[in-house]
Amino acid sequence: MIIRMAKVEIVGPKQDLLSTLDLLHNRGIFQPDPKLMERVELAEDEQLQTLVLDENELRERSFFQDMQERVTNLLELLPEVNNGISPLQPLPVMGLLDELVDQHLATARDQVRSLNECRRNAEELQHDLSFWEALEPLLENLPKNSNLELFGVTIRDSRQLHNLDSLLQERTQGRCYISSTTTTDGTLIGLIATDRGSADGLRQALTAEKVPELSLPEELAGLPLPQRITALHDNLKSQLGQCNQLEGRLMDTSRRWRPIYRSALVWLEERLALYRATATAYTTRLCFIVQGWMANNEVDRLQDDLNRSFSGRVVLEQLAILEEDLDQVPVMLRNPGYFAPFEILSRLLPLPKYSSYDPTPLLGLFFPVLFGMILGDIGYGLILLLLAFFLARHFPAHTLTSDIGKVLGIAALYTLVFGILYGELFGDLGETWLGLHPVWFDRGKTVVPMIVFSLTVGVVHILLGMTLGALTELRRHQPRKALVKLAMLVAVILMVLALVGWFYPQSWLSTGPLLIGVGILMPVLIAAEGLLAPLELLKTMGNIISYVRIMAIGFSSILLAMVANRLGGMTGDIMVGILVGGTLHAFNLLLGVFAPTVHSLRLHYVEFFSKFLDLGGRRFEPWQKRHP
Amino acid sequence: MEKVWIAFAAALAVGIPALATAWAQSRIGAAGAGTLAEKPELTGAIIILVAIPETMVILGFVVAAMILLML
Repeated sequence: MIIRMAKVEIVGPKQDLLSTLDLLHNRGIFQPDPKLMERVELAEDEQLQTLVLDENELRERSFFQDMQERVTNLLELLPEVNNGISPLQPLPVMGLLDELVDQHLATARDQVRSLNECRRNAEELQHDLSFWEALEPLLENLPKNSNLELFGVTIRDSRQLHNLDSLLQERTQGRCYISSTTTTDGTLIGLIATDRGSADGLRQALTAEKVPELSLPEELAGLPLPQRITALHDNLKSQLGQCNQLEGRLMDTSRRWRPIYRSALVWLEERLALYRATATAYTTRLCFIVQGWMANNEVDRLQDDLNRSFSGRVVLEQLAILEEDLDQVPVMLRNPGYFAPFEILSRLLPLPKYSSYDPTPLLGLFFPVLFGMILGDIGYGLILLLLAFFLARHFPAHTLTSDIGKVLGIAALYTLVFGILYGELFGDLGETWLGLHPVWFDRGKTVVPMIVFSLTVGVVHILLGMTLGALTELRRHQPRKALVKLAMLVAVILMVLALVGWFYPQSWLSTGPLLIGVGILMPVLIAAEGLLAPLELLKTMGNIISYVRIMAIGFSSILLAMVANRLGGMTGDIMVGILVGGTLHAFNLLLGVFAPTVHSLRLHYVEFFSKFLDLGGRRFEPWQKRHP
Repeated sequence: MEKVWIAFAAALAVGIPALATAWAQSRIGAAGAGTLAEKPELTGAIIILVAIPETMVILGFVVAAMILLML
């Protein structure tokens, strides 16, 4: 439901403004609204203006902003050791932190730079090592000739390898040998061997073909391959050791200073938020005025808090909510236990306006009923109930999954109830195996009664929506619009009765007078609503007809279930039959969850809510501490 | 012969709206997928929008059922 809001004005001496804002910030129940101030009336000699900070306050704000920037930069560099915040009060040590933060920033930057460089070197060594290790077996196939020059290259793909082989054979007149292998990360690499005389030409050919040669640090380049690999291993080990040392030093700095700087940053953020909040306050020569919104039931408590903290100097007054304020009132929704999980469905819509209704309780009442009417099967209901129980039990309360579980559970209960009424257990399996009979009617065989039932549900739902629409207009103090909506409601009732009389003639139900009644109402509606009124009446009738989907989707669901049973039975083997039937029933159940959900929601959002819900409300966003 | 025509009429009553629904859903689905790439919070609204044209085939189905059952 929509929580009742209060429009309040807080007035006090100018010097108490920051303390008052701090108190409001701490309570987290007040949302300022500077737009309301446009209508404040003052004595002629008083001039209302936005608050201008004095020189000291401006200097202080600028210092805090600079400090916040430096601390943020430092915290970005320090690794997260734990999430703790120091209990130290930052304000008394802010001067000391101001001196230390630059020093720590410079140290942390150096440490991070060295660590990054060290990691980069280690990565390069690791890369080289993987290449040369992969090349080692290829080397064993080569003749032990000291006149040989060896090249390690990276090759894009096997096509390039083929082209490269042809090119090099041509350049060296067949005096080269190329072999290839794949490294652990999947890169194709090659080892080219040639005599020293052809080496330069071959190197030029590789450069021209843009084939990258594997490079080595200078000190390793002259070593034979086995020593090269050992030396690379040693270098890598020493580099990793150096990285660990640097990381340890950075972690030490972080462990020692991060909680203190985090605490300072939280304090700075709150303090600067307070300065920003002063922009919503207005002042006269001596006083400040803040107007805004809060929950009606919190007004007395805040009044007491202000009295206690400022000894009556700061006063809170509750103002009347005027008609022109109605679109501005922020909206806060709160629903009791049963309805709370249904907020996951109402959140898909924009917020309702303050003078409208919270759709959540209505969804809580009608969504599961429509879901149950469509799916209506004892077997499916039981499976969904188990699934819902699992979701609600195994996930923490008030999370999306747990709420989905609760909504599904309630919908499954209605599925079970309607399943008993329709006499369905996995389609017609209950009837075949257990002799189950419908308590109400068999919707697989009685299509027309089911259509009539669906349309009746539509009539009730739409008429309720139209009644709520008329009530909404009354709440908005628009009696004329409320009367028009009531006239439309009567016209719809007359049309429905006329249609009932047409299809099911009764002695007491004469179609003619009912249509005459609609004809009398029509000029009234056209005068009030314009030429669109007849169209609106037709649209409403279309909305009612749309409820026939309750029958249509339910009918397709039971037919699919019957097909699953028949196909399972036709296999002639129990195990195969269970497998085929079970798979088809699982598919039907999946559709049976998705389709009733989407169509029940659609019937609410498009057909039902369009009759009364006024969307586009502002969310209630009170001032509150970012770090409680 | 009359039964054939009744069945044919019922098939048309559900088949033509089914094609229309498929066409509308393909357009809405494509636009919805584009929207979701930028605003994933609109998932619920997009699902509802995709379901809206289904009214056509559902009403077609009802008409087909009535043709088969009442004629």
